[in-house]
Amino acid sequence: MIPKPEAANLSFPAVEITRRSFVKAGGALFVSMTMLSRASAGAAESKPPATATPIGAWIELRSDNTILVRTGRTEIGTGMSGFYSQVVAEELNIRPETITLIMGDTDRTFDGGYSAGFLSGAANLRKVSAYTYQALLALAAKQLGVPGTALTVENGVVSAAGKRISYGELVQGQQLDLKIPVTGKPAQWAPPGVTNIAGLDWGGMDGLVVAGDPPLKPVSQYKVVGTSFPMPVIPDKVTGKTQWSCDVVLPGMLHARMVRPATLGSTLISAGEVDKKQFPTAAVVSKGNLVAVVSPREWEAVAAVHSVATHTKWTEWSGLPGSENLTKSLRAHRWGPPDQSRGDVAEVTTAFAKATNTLSLSYEQPYVKHAPIGPFVAVADVRSDGAVTVWTHSAHAQALRARMANMLGTTVDKVVVRCLEHAGQFGRTTFGGDGAEADAVVLSQLTGKPVRVQWTLQEDLAWSAASPGWIADIKGALDSQGHLIAVHSAFYSPKMMDARPLGAILAGMPAGTTSGKGGGFLATEWPYDKIACRLEQVHARENIGAESPFGGVRGLIMRTPGQRQQNFVLEAMMNEAAAAGKVDPIQFRLEHTTDPRLAAVLHATAKAADWETRPSPSPAANRSGGQAVHGHGVCIMIRAGAYWAGIAEIVVTPSSGAVQVTRFTLGVECGKIINPRQLERCMKGGVVMGLGEALKEEMTFDSGKVTSTDWTRYKILTMQEMPEIRIVQISRDDKESGGGGEAPNALVPAAVAAAFFDATGVAPRRIPLTPAYVGPLLKG
Amino acid sequence: MADQLSLTVNGAKQVVSATPETPLLYVLRNDLKLTGPRFGCGLAQCGACAVLVDGKEVRSCITPVAAVTGKQVTTIEGLPGLWAAAQGHPENATPLHPVQQALHPVQQAWIDEQVPQCGYCQSGMMIAAVQLLANNANPTVDQIKDAFTNTPPSPHLCRCGTYGAIIDAVQRAARAMAPVAK
Repeated sequence: MIPKPEAANLSFPAVEITRRSFVKAGGALFVSMTMLSRASAGAAESKPPATATPIGAWIELRSDNTILVRTGRTEIGTGMSGFYSQVVAEELNIRPETITLIMGDTDRTFDGGYSAGFLSGAANLRKVSAYTYQALLALAAKQLGVPGTALTVENGVVSAAGKRISYGELVQGQQLDLKIPVTGKPAQWAPPGVTNIAGLDWGGMDGLVVAGDPPLKPVSQYKVVGTSFPMPVIPDKVTGKTQWSCDVVLPGMLHARMVRPATLGSTLISAGEVDKKQFPTAAVVSKGNLVAVVSPREWEAVAAVHSVATHTKWTEWSGLPGSENLTKSLRAHRWGPPDQSRGDVAEVTTAFAKATNTLSLSYEQPYVKHAPIGPFVAVADVRSDGAVTVWTHSAHAQALRARMANMLGTTVDKVVVRCLEHAGQFGRTTFGGDGAEADAVVLSQLTGKPVRVQWTLQEDLAWSAASPGWIADIKGALDSQGHLIAVHSAFYSPKMMDARPLGAILAGMPAGTTSGKGGGFLATEWPYDKIACRLEQVHARENIGAESPFGGVRGLIMRTPGQRQQNFVLEAMMNEAAAAGKVDPIQFRLEHTTDPRLAAVLHATAKAADWETRPSPSPAANRSGGQAVHGHGVCIMIRAGAYWAGIAEIVVTPSSGAVQVTRFTLGVECGKIINPRQLERCMKGGVVMGLGEALKEEMTFDSGKVTSTDWTRYKILTMQEMPEIRIVQISRDDKESGGGGEAPNALVPAAVAAAFFDATGVAPRRIPLTPAYVGPLLKG
Repeated sequence: MADQLSLTVNGAKQVVSATPETPLLYVLRNDLKLTGPRFGCGLAQCGACAVLVDGKEVRSCITPVAAVTGKQVTTIEGLPGLWAAAQGHPENATPLHPVQQALHPVQQAWIDEQVPQCGYCQSGMMIAAVQLLANNANPTVDQIKDAFTNTPPSPHLCRCGTYGAIIDAVQRAARAMAPVAK
């Protein structure tokens, strides 16, 4: 969250610009960081401690009025490259077009932090800019000979009493320094005894954090934040100028294709050989169970790998339950006490004892995949002196750096990660794990040459981590008026924090851990304050197939993790509870919350969707026959300072089990909207992704391996299946910005399931709503 | 063994050394350094690698380079030249790597509508749009959905969910490409 603005704050340390030198041409102000010791971090520092050392430049403001901004966060396709520019421009009173961003590279950015933490990253840059702004004002006041209070700034030009000077002119001919106090640390490998998340020190996920509270511009005065600034990276992507991670070419580089084990647990008996007559420059390289074909020519590697794979022998392994038995297998598992629990057992037991009526419902979802359009790809150059450079795309470059160092048994200063664009990963690189980097590093180490590893689609769908399947039980206690007085939910799932790189696992190198904080985590933000009595429990288990030498199906977070699943369970139950009381589902929700922000977005979204107020199921509901039946359904959610409502309208043909979503209306109130247009893009895209999950997506597997390994077997939404999407945005000038880009996918499945119930009178207890599930469900 | 193969890419004649069965994608990306088309699936199932061959969309990941010798190959890098030539300005159709050219209306529409999120699939999406608009100058929403979903060999897939923006951009490009009434 972005902290609240304060006009005056005693904990605003007096940072001053110092002059390093005069220069003949150009000139610049370098805004870098000074690490505060933990003891002094919260105190009202008048000056950074004398022992502090500068870390690196964060902002460079140059005499030509251009600005270079560095951030360890990366663009993951949601428009953050634009949002960061807007936030900096706002505080500095400049145009965002004057800003160039360097993102992610570990040798050129120093603050670290994961890209899922956009709000904390924005808060950092906002404060850095606010410090810089104050320092520039002081400089200008001196230069113009007027008091600081008399100054106004517009588009980087400071004015007072008829005098004007630009930021560029202020720094002309000088090298100036400004040091900003920071605390925290970049991502690092968790030492023994330190709380870890996916093997990383939990304390470093957000990277360095700017200390102190410089005066921030009030949200109500924003001019740049709140406008639809175009995403700066788009033109180059459209013309073909962008350098993607798959485009990196180094002198002497080898192309690699991997030969993966026959199953998720098969170990190598013998690797096949390359037919040198047919593929003269290709070679097989292996370490442990990591097998690859390398060649200076990419196509030769691709062509050769098929025959090598055919002749590579693996042991048999079968340790998976088969996807058709997943629910049964999860039900049969002996779950221990909850990993995380919220609420009071005794209170809930008492409430249930007083209930007039109770609902007891169970829901389930299979494994789903992040499924980017571009499979993993990475280039690594491991030098004989131990220097390692990796070119890739990651949502957490510093974490990846720490992970590679851990794998190699070296220190992070030996490893550089360069971040480039790639297909959207939707959370699977949040811990800097899952990816082709480890493969590339191992192969570069073995061959002594730079190596580019391109995973195939089949490999990616079979071997990348997945968002685990789950089961859940939820109970609701209703009073005589049909109001919920208590809720008890229990969510059961394999852990979703296994970011161990496949290459490290197969090569038998240190890969990290599957334990640690967040193995099973409660992710709901409770929207119903009138249901005061609740017990929420999350149970976690190891990966399915964990007995495999490679650890089975690695479970990893995916867009809106945990809350996507757990909110589905809550909202599905709310829809069934509303129907039990014969109350309109929107009305039922409003009866259980006093939150005005939630009510406002629900009302606005219902209006935009032309919602017809009535209980579900629809009077025309029908569960049989070839006649199409129509239904509507709703879902709400609160996440990261944002209030959401989604409304689905669908058509079901009971005889065929075909479900078509005809319209989806998504509303959000997320405080001050940073960029309405980019938010709309993220909202519409999230709806498309959520519809895939609601209607189609399921990772299938047999007793040893994943079987949904291409786009005909792992089905995502196509353009023709996309319904009309209506968007409602409520921006607040009196609220800080909340999270808007991530969550939309999570609003869809529960609303679609509710619409299915409305249309047919039958409540689904599983997604996706495929004909194979829906057909038998309707037949009862 | 590698053959010397000649093909015309973005208006320029090129001779490449490749085995005939090498998919066009690898020749474009690795030999000609045209990185607009991208590897998505290698199975002609997603569209990320799509290019135009004699104006018709093909999936370069499964098209042998030998199949396009003597034909005109166009990648997104060549769309400005294609548009210049279509406007009767062949002298502006500078080959291979254009420097200063007006963008193809489809590219401009992709920028104006802010279509790409991650953008990985969008090169193929723009190629599909150019082919669609060549066949249907003013497609309806349903016709656009049909073209991007049901044209063989597979739907054009986008995981970020930019389909709505693509529809808007195709219609914007159609308006921009419409002959001005005199």
